[in-house]
Amino acid sequence: MPRLGLPIDKDWAWGDASGTGITVAVVDSGIDAAHPEVGAVDRAVALQWDADTQEATLSEGPHDDLYGHGTACAGIIRRAAPDATLWSVRVLGRKLSGKGVVFAAGLRWAIAQGARVVNLSLSTSREDYFGLFHEVADEAAFAGVVLVCAANNVPAPTYPAQFSSVISVAAHDGQDPFELDANPAPPVDFGAPGIDVRVPWLDGGTIVSTGNSFAAPHVAGLVARLLSKHPHLTPYEVKTVLRAVASNAR
Amino acid sequence: MNPEDLLRELGQLATSLGPAVRPAGTDELLRSLTETARQLFGAAACSLALLSPDESELVYTVAAGQGAADVTGMRIPAAQGIAGWVVQSGQPIAITDVGSDPRFSRHAAEQTGYVPRAILAVPVETRARMLGVISLLDRDPQRPGAERDMTLLSLFADQAALALTSVEAFSDLGQVLFRAAAEAAGDGDLAAALTRVASTLPSANTSPDLAELAAAFATLARRGPAERRLALAVLRDVADYAKERPSRRH
Repeated sequence: MPRLGLPIDKDWAWGDASGTGITVAVVDSGIDAAHPEVGAVDRAVALQWDADTQEATLSEGPHDDLYGHGTACAGIIRRAAPDATLWSVRVLGRKLSGKGVVFAAGLRWAIAQGARVVNLSLSTSREDYFGLFHEVADEAAFAGVVLVCAANNVPAPTYPAQFSSVISVAAHDGQDPFELDANPAPPVDFGAPGIDVRVPWLDGGTIVSTGNSFAAPHVAGLVARLLSKHPHLTPYEVKTVLRAVASNAR
Repeated sequence: MNPEDLLRELGQLATSLGPAVRPAGTDELLRSLTETARQLFGAAACSLALLSPDESELVYTVAAGQGAADVTGMRIPAAQGIAGWVVQSGQPIAITDVGSDPRFSRHAAEQTGYVPRAILAVPVETRARMLGVISLLDRDPQRPGAERDMTLLSLFADQAALALTSVEAFSDLGQVLFRAAAEAAGDGDLAAALTRVASTLPSANTSPDLAELAAAFATLARRGPAERRLALAVLRDVADYAKERPSRRH
């Protein structure tokens, strides 16, 4: 990849910043706040689809992680941004029905409440979600909220990772949470650790796992760290800075 | 009988008999697919679990390898376990050691007589909907990283999705035919009538008896004229016998 030639290095980008003052919302299966690698979860909302009203219902208050994945993401985010504020937006864990509406409602809540970074494990190939997810991704970008999404493993489009307005991340086999690669071929933007990574899981334990869905929170953590030092950056400026500090572009 | 009533009867007939004319060999194809995947990846087992019609459960439909006979037909809630997370999030995942995951469906795994250490699971979906998940248990550890295998397994998942989608069309043959005819009719009364009736037609899933009968008969009949005659003879004998017996009133 060609060098950008900008005077941006990791020292400028984040140095010793630790995420203070930046809220990261984990849109996933919930977060286990009791896990030693997670620390505090400041706010938690659980969303469900109500078939009668055809709307998403939202309830705020501490909740469990129904699968373990949200806790993994929270723990990974803490590795780069130990002092970021964490919110849990649980959209996974009940029936699949109304998934698109539930996701949109969860994301809109996070944006309205002031989150700056959103880590998204959810992706869909469904054509009928294209419009809604595109709209919500734009809303986030226009509100200055950085959406970090797990990319797809196959060439087929997956939403919202496909959209240019988000940061899409695929897994590489590095282990350093402060190293990322820039991907020269869209739609995937960056590569980050996500192969055989040890991550927090349920009941205070850890597992060794692989997936783009573990690479995304690595980048979300770096974004939180970056924003805590440079809070006025827009999402596209964030992408530029990440590109400038990528390991394969220096 | 007014024309719309006639249409409705025709539609219901098509739906009931759809399974009798669906392409042979889908079950065999799916079994072959799971066995091929199992061998290719050097895995102990490979299974295909499909979402139930109301999307609340995953039904293990086809399996190959260790525990295959016991796992086939098993149902787990879609809001549970690694397979559940995969269908909900739409993201592939690999876990090297599920032993440290206390909520991993150990109970279900023990029921099959095989408790895996490692699992690699990818979603099975189309652009229209999420169908289920393919799981590999205990892939050959000599294989390079799970990341590449996720991409490869997704190709098998795509094949399974294609096979399942074409089968589904035959379960809803009445609806499929009428909607296609409505499109061909363009605007106007005929198209409107066809669309109206199509939306009232049940799926064969909701009235399985005649569908099962039709499918079973078709399977026999495909074997040849002698088998067809035998099937007819047996069916007539059963019908005669049923006529003689005093019928049970519910």
